[in-house]
Amino acid sequence: MNRMKNAFTKKAFIAFITAGDPDLETTYQCILEMEKAGASLVEIGIPFSDPVAEGPVIQKANIRALNGGVNTAKVFELVQRVRQVSDIPLCFMTYYNVVFHYGVEKFMAKCQDIGIDGLILPDLSFEESEEVNQFKKRYDLELISFVAPTSQNRVKMIARQAEGFIYLVSSMGVTGTRSSFAGGLEELVALIKQETDTPVAIGFGINTPEQVKELSQYCDGVIVGSAIIKIIEKYGQDAPKHVREYVKEMVAALG
Amino acid sequence: MTKVKICGLFREADIAVINREKPDYVGFVFAKSSRQVDFATAKKLAAQVDPGILKVGVFVNGEHSLIKRLADEHVIDLIQLHGGEDNDYIAILKRSVHLPLIKAIKVQPGTDLRGLDYDVDYYLLDGPVPGSGEAFDWTMISKLAKPYFLAGGINCANLEQALAVGCYGIDVSSGVETDKVKDEKKIATLVRRVKMKKGRFGIHGGQYIPETLMEELHKIDAAYEHYKNDPEFNRELKKLLDEYAGRPSLLYYAKKMTEDLKGPKIYLKREDLNHTGSHKINNVLGQVLLAKKMGKTRVIAETGAGQHGVATATAAALLDMECEIYMGKEDTDRQILNVYRMELLGAKVIQVTSGTMTLKDAVNETLRVWTGRIDDTFYVLGSVMGPHPYPAMVRDFQAVISKEARQQILEAENKLPSAVYACVGGGSNAMGMFYNFINDENVKLVGCEAAGKGVDTPYTAATINTGSLGVFHGMKSYFCQDEYGQIAPVYSISAGLDYPGIGPEHAYLNDIKRASYLPVTDDEAVHAFEYIAKVEGIICAIESAHAVAQIIKDAPKYSPDDIIICCLSGRGDKDVAAIARYKGVEIYE
Ligand SMILES: Cc1ncc(COP(=O)(O)O)c(C=O)c1O
Repeated sequence: MNRMKNAFTKKAFIAFITAGDPDLETTYQCILEMEKAGASLVEIGIPFSDPVAEGPVIQKANIRALNGGVNTAKVFELVQRVRQVSDIPLCFMTYYNVVFHYGVEKFMAKCQDIGIDGLILPDLSFEESEEVNQFKKRYDLELISFVAPTSQNRVKMIARQAEGFIYLVSSMGVTGTRSSFAGGLEELVALIKQETDTPVAIGFGINTPEQVKELSQYCDGVIVGSAIIKIIEKYGQDAPKHVREYVKEMVAALG
Repeated sequence: MTKVKICGLFREADIAVINREKPDYVGFVFAKSSRQVDFATAKKLAAQVDPGILKVGVFVNGEHSLIKRLADEHVIDLIQLHGGEDNDYIAILKRSVHLPLIKAIKVQPGTDLRGLDYDVDYYLLDGPVPGSGEAFDWTMISKLAKPYFLAGGINCANLEQALAVGCYGIDVSSGVETDKVKDEKKIATLVRRVKMKKGRFGIHGGQYIPETLMEELHKIDAAYEHYKNDPEFNRELKKLLDEYAGRPSLLYYAKKMTEDLKGPKIYLKREDLNHTGSHKINNVLGQVLLAKKMGKTRVIAETGAGQHGVATATAAALLDMECEIYMGKEDTDRQILNVYRMELLGAKVIQVTSGTMTLKDAVNETLRVWTGRIDDTFYVLGSVMGPHPYPAMVRDFQAVISKEARQQILEAENKLPSAVYACVGGGSNAMGMFYNFINDENVKLVGCEAAGKGVDTPYTAATINTGSLGVFHGMKSYFCQDEYGQIAPVYSISAGLDYPGIGPEHAYLNDIKRASYLPVTDDEAVHAFEYIAKVEGIICAIESAHAVAQIIKDAPKYSPDDIIICCLSGRGDKDVAAIARYKGVEIYE
């Protein structure tokens, strides 16, 4: 059974982490610590050589992980380990070529097999999503849809087909911690809500409890990536407990 | 995309064509017909059909036992019922065979299409006399409850109308035959035209790009569709190309090279003589003019060798646009003069230090920057790559090369060349050189890829020769990548060919074997660089030298009656220092 729904029984804190940064053991510990700290869902990033939607922080995490010898097969093993002790909803976040090259259907079958609940593929546009959508049902996976500040004319089309949750991109540009977000986010959420009951989570740039507090008033969840990666970058193998403390603080700020 | 079914195969010779053109379905007719096959023949043919193509068995009130045997032995994947089969027949059949069913309907005036209630997966709408090759009145078709194939009299001439009906698939048999047997060319033309979806080249192309950019891509697509047919836009562009860039470029008969190589008659299409020294200006003037029409005030671009950056900076200066160029640190080091040139032209050059610090990383960074600021900014992509509409738009702007060359060679020689050659990085000068010759079937199209230190080493950028299918930089195409789909670091002495992918239209021309792509090493290119300098007195770009090198290799295969044209994509001033270094000579600028 797909666990995605469990993430949205209350306002959700969604944590992103790059698998294998600085090593898979640290990633494993971080995931479990984040769950203990109240994270509702974890996005596990499979590193990619050319992450075009990523700012410098996550770019560097990808490079650290790849240089450490992480590959898709090893990330699958990581998920299997996590699944032995945890039922937290899990998504893979990666670039479409990683999935495509593995074989879309084979990759999705593997996801179901190891207990992944959804896929987040920032470079697979709505226009091309049928390549993955056609296998969603068969392997009980959700493909997460993106809505961006530039999506006004596209919201209806995207929202009607969205399942799992909708990833609302907070700002123009790539990932990275930010101090302010694009105007009109609340209106975008309202537009989405007219079309669908699928939960809406906002991500890109969120890094302080104040931001969580403000945004979670009108959306169903927040997604935090770069801020967590920065902690891992700073503390390395020592990161899990620092990540736990940070996530705890952020979760407490949810509306 | 509308599916295509080629029906009525019975000859082994047709299977090779089918496997090359890849329709979605093929049909074997087991009913009385000039195209009838028996079990054994069908089994033999089916075994040779590419597994990606589904095989349909066509029956007229067929025996269940035969159908079951064909299904059990995997000779067929779908069943088409083309007789008087009713729901009772279908119910019994379904008990023993579990394949999708297609029920053919003979459409006559008055046929109630809405009321159809057969327990099948698809309908197939055919004329009153199946196999007659005559089309029925397609305006009769209303909305059906199930997806349907359209059949009866479809051919290359009425294909557009057939596709406009909105069917799930088209079914063609006599429309791709000549004298009652399948015609290779007709199959190829028909299948390719159905598969040529907007923004797609066969399976390649598409728009694989973050949501933030999608709306803008659609805007560019719409603007381009409008302006490419706008006489005023075309007048302005032509004026810029002729009066500013110096077009038409010369088609020069390389007499000394011809005599020395003792092969074909060699002509050079002199894109190196354009303003800014390469073909890049053709595309850039088009895109920057379009950007201006769209109300943009800032252009950004990636560059490898620096040629595209210099061209963009030039057009930006001329057309009063703010300009930022992204260039990998490896390349700013190798091409320091071009960096200074761009700055002279008023552009800001940003050094990219992520990843391998070459062209692909420059593209990554330009995409990232664009995502952050779209409203006033146009991304001037430098090759026939990226998401739709770029591959088609850049190709159209570069097609002026072959438009001129075709006319020039006809004037000079009164016949078409046997082959045209061009180097391939992303593939823009090659696409420009090929485009107007694609329909001239006897003109060979040869792309020359950078093999670097050799295709059997990791130090190569020969995408078609060493890469595999992937999705990157907005497009589906071939890429150099590892077993996990990580994009590979690539290498070539030529900064302009040092790219791990190739434009989607080239990938397609390669798939259908219309063009061939051959690897040329650093050593061969450097040799050709020196050769053409000494023999013809032309210092060409090291990129273009890859095409020259392939011609040197191929010359003995041609006869003096053959004519070949080489696209000399750029001039080589920028490469002189690097070539000297390669030869072990240090020179200081
Ligand atoms: C002179 C020249 N030729 C060829 C190329 C390769 O690009 P394309 O394959 O798009 O023509 C470049 C790219 O920088 C170039 O500068």
